[in-house]
Amino acid sequence: MNILILDSWLREHLKTEAKPEEIGRYLSLSSQSVERTTKTHTGDFIYNIEVTSNRPDAFSVYGIARELSAVLPQNSLKTKLLPILEKPIPPVKKSLPLTVKIIDHSLVPRFTALVFDNVQIKPPPKVVQERLEASGIRSLNNVIDISNYLMLELGQPMHTFDYDKISKAKMIVRQAKAGEKITTLDGQVRLLPAGTIIIEDGGGRIIDLCGIMGGKNSEVDENTQRVLLFVQTYDPVSIRRSCQGLAFRTEAASRFEKGIDPEGVIIAMKRAVGLFKDWCGAKVASQLFDIYPEPPKPYTVSLKKSRLDQLLGVETKLTEAQNILESLGFETQIKDETIIAKVPHWRYGDITLPEDLVEEIARIHGYHNLPNVLPPISFPQKPLPILELEDKLKTALQYWGLSETPTYSLTNPLTQKKAGISPEGLLRLANPLSEEWRVLRTSLLPSLLEVVAQNIVFPTVRIFEIANVYLPQGKSKLPDERSRLGVMLADNGFLAAKGLVEIIFDNFNISNGHFIPPKTEEKIINPQKTADILVGKELVGRVGEVSQAVLAEFGINRPVAFLDLDLAALEKLVIPIKTYQPVSKYPPIIEDFSFVVPPKTLVAEIVQSIKQVNPLIISVELIDIYDQTRTFRIIYQSKEKSLTDKEIVLIRNSIINRLEKDGVRLKGAA
Amino acid sequence: MIKNQINNLKNEAIGEILEAKDGKALEEIRARFLGRAGKINELTREIPKLPKEERAPLGKLLNETKLTVEEALWQAHEKFQAGKEKKEWFDVTLPGQKPSLGHLHLITQATREIVDIFSRLGFKWVRYPEVEWDWYAFEGLNMPKNHPARDTLETYFIEELYHPKLGKGVLTPHTSSGQLREMEQTKPPIRMLNIAKCYRRQSDVSHSTMFYQFEGLVVDEKINITHLKGTLDYFFKQFFGPERQARIRPFHFRFTEPSFEVDVSCSECHGVGKQEGGEVCRVCKEGWLEIGGAGMVHPNVLRNGGIDPEKYTGYAFGWGVERVLMMKYGIGDIRLLFDNDLRFLEQF
Repeated sequence: MNILILDSWLREHLKTEAKPEEIGRYLSLSSQSVERTTKTHTGDFIYNIEVTSNRPDAFSVYGIARELSAVLPQNSLKTKLLPILEKPIPPVKKSLPLTVKIIDHSLVPRFTALVFDNVQIKPPPKVVQERLEASGIRSLNNVIDISNYLMLELGQPMHTFDYDKISKAKMIVRQAKAGEKITTLDGQVRLLPAGTIIIEDGGGRIIDLCGIMGGKNSEVDENTQRVLLFVQTYDPVSIRRSCQGLAFRTEAASRFEKGIDPEGVIIAMKRAVGLFKDWCGAKVASQLFDIYPEPPKPYTVSLKKSRLDQLLGVETKLTEAQNILESLGFETQIKDETIIAKVPHWRYGDITLPEDLVEEIARIHGYHNLPNVLPPISFPQKPLPILELEDKLKTALQYWGLSETPTYSLTNPLTQKKAGISPEGLLRLANPLSEEWRVLRTSLLPSLLEVVAQNIVFPTVRIFEIANVYLPQGKSKLPDERSRLGVMLADNGFLAAKGLVEIIFDNFNISNGHFIPPKTEEKIINPQKTADILVGKELVGRVGEVSQAVLAEFGINRPVAFLDLDLAALEKLVIPIKTYQPVSKYPPIIEDFSFVVPPKTLVAEIVQSIKQVNPLIISVELIDIYDQTRTFRIIYQSKEKSLTDKEIVLIRNSIINRLEKDGVRLKGAA
Repeated sequence: MIKNQINNLKNEAIGEILEAKDGKALEEIRARFLGRAGKINELTREIPKLPKEERAPLGKLLNETKLTVEEALWQAHEKFQAGKEKKEWFDVTLPGQKPSLGHLHLITQATREIVDIFSRLGFKWVRYPEVEWDWYAFEGLNMPKNHPARDTLETYFIEELYHPKLGKGVLTPHTSSGQLREMEQTKPPIRMLNIAKCYRRQSDVSHSTMFYQFEGLVVDEKINITHLKGTLDYFFKQFFGPERQARIRPFHFRFTEPSFEVDVSCSECHGVGKQEGGEVCRVCKEGWLEIGGAGMVHPNVLRNGGIDPEKYTGYAFGWGVERVLMMKYGIGDIRLLFDNDLRFLEQF
């Protein structure tokens, strides 16, 4: 969260020789990040500072001054933090009454209130108006501005009620019940989420949406004479939940939900006493109501020198570390090479571990003052095998002319339906941002068809994606995330896509790959021109042409071939090292045969039949197709001897006899 | 006698070769001298008729003559060919016949660069689940339930996915979930580079609902802040250029202590924050560009990963792949990367 801080206001709390530019630089390097320093038309400077969520104590002018009082001297810039101008709370002879009932103290760790009388409502001093406006807050009147001014200066949000509008001067702090409503200061009627901390007055009216915004019915207006100043801390989780439930957040709320130091409450109260007197001419008219049943106990954190050196990587002097901690408000002592640090109340909860102290010491010492050292090398290892396969495959596909188009894993259920995939079986987001990103895909193909459709104007579209798909495995098991390759070749047919599979198998040394007609017929495939891809008996993917029906759904008017390969399965089948096969010393004998085959005969089966005839057949290759004629080139070779004509004749006849059983007839040996 | 005949024959042949006008003439000469019924063969047939002692030296001479003529013929042939090549016109500006070449996505290219840079430091490239239990994404990383740190991560939840011990099923909003997975599998020394898809419930010019992060995790004895600083500086100089510098600033994350925000010096103003004319640099914040978070692994996270935080220390960093590549290639809108317009993709 960001805060805007005026240089002149900052210097009211900090005496320093640092220039604004130096303040910006060193604050960024050692504390909170200054995103911009801008010069105002009056010659002042505004720092725009991002304060991290663990540092509500630095979310104020004073908090930043306190940080700078530790940071700047470390960079040789003389700096001194000035004390907060507190006024004592004067005793009153007869206090105006206030009855308070707190239902659950854990929700309101500290409750304080003080009544002022003789309040004159008017504009605040000009400098206050200017400071508020420079910080992004509108000046309203002197009373309301006190609360905003001190919120910015000290980080403690506060609220002011018109005391006379609190019925029976009674406050019941409780949690809202479902259905209750409040009209807040901005005039909005807000339905309260159950559990929201609220205040009910003696008349049963809800007068405050605690920590977020006051009620309209108890606001300070131009007729107000008596003001109840209200300074509290609240349970951060409760405030946060209410803000989420209301979808509404204020400056005050965003501070309360990060946690406010209950010890700071009285400091803010005492500072307010002075301002009420100076700006409003008011006087204190009640005792201080302070309900604080369980003040946090002071505690220490210990840090061994060895641990400090271990994390810092340089040898430190404990006395230097001690000085740094002292400059940040820790009380310290050194015992047995260990710093024992009493944590300042504004850092309670944030500093609990030795490592927290290391961070304090290191940042003030300056990370930029530490050297850059490379870590020692230790047993470098190869990437996960699947990542290596994906990476090599990407290179290969690129050089085979395909372009990579990564798409979202989250898809629109409609896209799945268009491709014939039922979205019901997919993992679904419980809180989607839009219907476009709703279900986790189990196939890459629908998304890739969208890319084809999008780029249909281009003459060639040859695209691929390698990504995980998410296969559900029940309600208490994570899905099976499997890496797949998806390819779309627009204007190409089955054989082009199949060729891609074959060359992938060649390239990765995967043997025993074959293709069979599809076992299942989904809507997305053209069943005549699609094959299941097997390696051995394992199904590893599918290749083919996209059906006309699905192409039409996606508005694609060209034929498209696809490939869908399970890389997670394939990765286990890759033979990474090719073993050397001795080359035969004896010459091969090569013969071409043309066969006439019956309709619907599969070439792969003929090849298989021929190969099984004799181990001396080392290669069978289809070299020509014409009508029902298939021409094969057969190579015979032995590793032991030169083959004689007599031996070849025997094998040749066995081939012809074997094929005749399937009605495949020799046309003539070429 | 026959020796003279051989020498005459040689001179005759070479003379004719030198005077030949074209390749056709050369072919004619070859046939006449070297052919099956050519003059050299004619003489060869005479050799056996000679006295025994003359046969060897004359046979040798005849062979040499044959080689000399062949050599002369080849040289003359070369001469004619060269002349012919010089005359034949060819348009070298015709387009070549290229093998096909596709394009790898910028994210893949950047990922490779990142992997390459870190592998030289011995980091192992891994990938962990994208659909993950709350424990790995939050709780085990020292982010208790109801902690505001969870809000900033804008997490997607999966319908009905729930583990009684590990909590709800989420889409990982960061690669840090891989830290615990790695620690469960590998005992120190750990050098992990986890690159994976992440998801957050937001989408605008600088946020894509799906994006990639790369996460480095080093756990070992004697690992300290100076090693983190060294690693960052090394990476930026390798990835962005040798003149770039890294700096770390204090920040807050639940799973690291101390935590840092990491900046790289601006390429436009070189860390000054002002342009040459003195105007504020439009590219950066005061001379530096934010890259992302880093820190020393929180002792609770080490403990949750089964590692003794007294003995081992570690550092981690996790940044957007898109973020660093957009800075490198000057791309302003992250959504372009997932738009899959081939006119964009084919530029890289």
